[in-house]
Amino acid sequence: MNDRRQESLDKLIESLPREVVPPGHVWPGVAARLSGRPRRMPPMALAAAVAIAAAGLASFFTWTVLQSPSVPRVIQGLTATASFDEPRDPKYVLARDSMEKTFRERLALLEPATRAKIESSLAVIQSAHEDIRKALAADPQSPVLERLWESTWHEEFDLYDRVVQATQPSMTRI
Amino acid sequence: MDLSSEPSDTIAAAAAGDRAAFERLYRQFSPRIYGLCLRLTGQREAAEDCTQESFVAAWRALGRFERRSRFSTWLHKIAVNCVLSRRKGLRAAYEVAEPWAGLPERADPAGAAPPLDIERAIAALPDGARHVLVLVGIYGFSHAEAAGALGVAEGTSKAQLHRARQLLTSTLGLEES
Repeated sequence: MNDRRQESLDKLIESLPREVVPPGHVWPGVAARLSGRPRRMPPMALAAAVAIAAAGLASFFTWTVLQSPSVPRVIQGLTATASFDEPRDPKYVLARDSMEKTFRERLALLEPATRAKIESSLAVIQSAHEDIRKALAADPQSPVLERLWESTWHEEFDLYDRVVQATQPSMTRI
Repeated sequence: MDLSSEPSDTIAAAAAGDRAAFERLYRQFSPRIYGLCLRLTGQREAAEDCTQESFVAAWRALGRFERRSRFSTWLHKIAVNCVLSRRKGLRAAYEVAEPWAGLPERADPAGAAPPLDIERAIAALPDGARHVLVLVGIYGFSHAEAAGALGVAEGTSKAQLHRARQLLTSTLGLEES
């Protein structure tokens, strides 16, 4: 295409109106479909989502360090009887306290380097838990935050469980 | 792309659920969105539907709108997505409707530009060429933006623009001028 033809075409395209007013019935159609409020991911929830992802990774990392086929009977008994769907359930709290006690005892027997990694993972999970607690305080009705809150409890419990499993029954140094 | 000043307060109010503010956004931006939809689809009814869908989708997503990008750019992308998602359905309708139905009677109502000829020629272009011409040639998208919106490679966007311009030149008889 030569320059002259290009210029002619450019002029024609340039002459086109960019704006065309839509017919009057379009807005009422839009307005009739505006229900609720625009969806929003609250910054705190977003931060919490990031935190829970970090907690999940921390827990997974601990699992890869400590995976072991042995499962202690005491833990089997706890997980069989306790319902963990509701972290505030007294059965859960009791099981968690018992598990944490065993976890602390077993943790002290591990190599310093391994112990440091596990403690680091636990710190990530607990930090996520605290972030979500703050977010829930600001938005207590949020079902998303409620689920995240429960997830961090499970992550923490899961980490305790893995450490206890990995160190049972021979207490082999890792 | 048109970088006219954006009503940030109105956008914020609409994002917080203020419907009156959202209507103001509609009044400001709908002529451009409707024009875009009209030229992308080539059909008045389809353009009306796409305009409506675009603003409903914008309302629903407004809370997630990131201020780093321009509202008008964001809205244009929503409109392009709405048009493309309807593309299969439009093909059947295209066969029974005048492709330029609903376009302005004159390309430039205040000037001496040829009436409808250029609009008709654009509406008659093959889909791929028309989409790129409308986005890049008329609405100021970069080739990268158009390629992203249309789901094609940037090189394809450039090739389609070249093809569109050649076809328009031929259809409008510009080669003889």
